[in-house]
Amino acid sequence: MSDINAHITEAQAADTGGQGTVKDYFALLKPRVMSLVIFTAFVGIIAAPGTLHPWLAFVALLAIAVGAGAAGALNMWYDADIDAVMKRTAKRPVPAGSITPSEALGFGMVLAAGSVLVLGLLVNVLAGALLAFTIFFYIVVYTMWLKRLTPQNIVIGGAAGAFPPMVGWVAVTGSIDLGSIALFLIIFTWTPPHFWALALWKKINADYSNAGVPMLPVVAGPDETRRQILLYTLLLVPVTLLPALTGTVGWLYLVANIGLGVMFIWHAWRVYRIREGQEAEIACKKLFGFSTMWLFILFALILVERALGLPLFAPVV
Amino acid sequence: MKDVMTNSPFGPEDMARRRKRAIATAVILAVLAVLFFVTTIVRLGGSVAMRSM
Repeated sequence: MSDINAHITEAQAADTGGQGTVKDYFALLKPRVMSLVIFTAFVGIIAAPGTLHPWLAFVALLAIAVGAGAAGALNMWYDADIDAVMKRTAKRPVPAGSITPSEALGFGMVLAAGSVLVLGLLVNVLAGALLAFTIFFYIVVYTMWLKRLTPQNIVIGGAAGAFPPMVGWVAVTGSIDLGSIALFLIIFTWTPPHFWALALWKKINADYSNAGVPMLPVVAGPDETRRQILLYTLLLVPVTLLPALTGTVGWLYLVANIGLGVMFIWHAWRVYRIREGQEAEIACKKLFGFSTMWLFILFALILVERALGLPLFAPVV
Repeated sequence: MKDVMTNSPFGPEDMARRRKRAIATAVILAVLAVLFFVTTIVRLGGSVAMRSM
């Protein structure tokens, strides 16, 4: 018996790859982002009119989750150079050297193709196509094109994170309805104030600056970023009322949403007003934390209404 | 077998990692097989057992 690897030196073996553990590969999937994608996609499935067999709903969620993981892996493959420069991301598997870029690329591509095929073949073709478009949008439009080009990167690129509830919805209905567009618009409008609150943190801002990523605080400065955060928040609150017009939600969502919206504006206002010192940093951190919780509660309200069987508004549009 | 391992540039840790990755891949393939099988049954529906032969 001969060893086919016997001609490879140890140095070559390390370059060839094969150093990654299962945990490293799991980290490539960006599990925290994936958990939010699973949750919003699940809400899309529940909120959609019509029924889907529970097993098929499970398959759809699994495919959407794996698709999100694939996008994360491909993002880490392409962004390895800037991830290595930024403290927040330097320990990711590719810049840390435990997984080679080509391994991350192969892993991401296989998962992307697999998730799209599974969703398209086992659930419905439109949902599969929309998942493929979401991965394409996140990798090609956001990661490869906009992220390093314009401070509007997160505004347009945010669409990628807004698609999952729409994919879940389409998995049930087989069509892109106004209700799914309303859910899409909520996450799309929520992303800029959420992400810019994070980008205003001194450490994060320095990271982006060192890596040459043109985030809004780096290019336009913190004051303009604060103004944009407030403007997007003022736009976001009326956008969250759209599901009431499409007949996707009921009174519980509407009433709770008004209270949540006022709190969001209050946090954004504090970020806008407090610009110096530790207090300004704290205001940004509070807005970031609140906005994460805000999205979770908003979508959870839709689930609660369905679970309790509460009446929904009649669709106006 | 021991001789082969001695000549290999891959150490025991490399081989252990490779083994775990292989197991994970096998589990994923098995899950996929179950996924396709159960989905086929679900999509066919219960009436498939009652069809005329």
